[in-house]
Amino acid sequence: MKNRLKVLRAERDWTQAQLADALDVSRQTINAIETGKFDPSLPLAFRAARLFGMRIEEIFHDQDPAPL
Amino acid sequence: MNPRKPAENGYQSRIWRNTIRLACWGGAWVAATLLMGFGPKFLWNKALVFTLLAAGLDVAVGVGLILAHKKYIAELDELQRTVFLNALGITVGVALIAGIPISVLNQYDVIPFKSDISLLVILMSLTYVVCVAYGNWRYR
Repeated sequence: MKNRLKVLRAERDWTQAQLADALDVSRQTINAIETGKFDPSLPLAFRAARLFGMRIEEIFHDQDPAPL
Repeated sequence: MNPRKPAENGYQSRIWRNTIRLACWGGAWVAATLLMGFGPKFLWNKALVFTLLAAGLDVAVGVGLILAHKKYIAELDELQRTVFLNALGITVGVALIAGIPISVLNQYDVIPFKSDISLLVILMSLTYVVCVAYGNWRYR
């Protein structure tokens, strides 16, 4: 799963630690999500979407193309 | 929500508190186990009542340690919890896979040393530490 977390964070000039605090997770988790090593759970994805004021699909999207 | 202002009861401080609590319970359990192991010989001359009390204390503190560990894992974030649960799963597997053959080989005097529970505890501890370290390295 790809995501725009790093871009959105950079646009707001937040550090990984600040985003981690806001989402109540470790900085390591933010880094792992940003680098695509770890996919967040749905509740965490909702928290991120709420924090950035966006919909989940605007932040996270599947790498595979949608089935026809 | 303002990400620039760290929460006073944020993730890091909560995990730090839980780590301290877990370390205290771990230390208490080691102390209780040492008391149970060496007390009968060095402190109360194998008096049964004291030995039973020490065993009861060890079990009680052990239950506290289990609950502290349970709380610690429950309050980890999802990535850390994945790392710890993977480590626990592998540790239990290694204990079973290695423990039974060692026990059987020991029974038939195939291995040149006497295997006891401490060997299994050391193996489990090392497996757990290595797996947690590997998990943290993998998601660093």
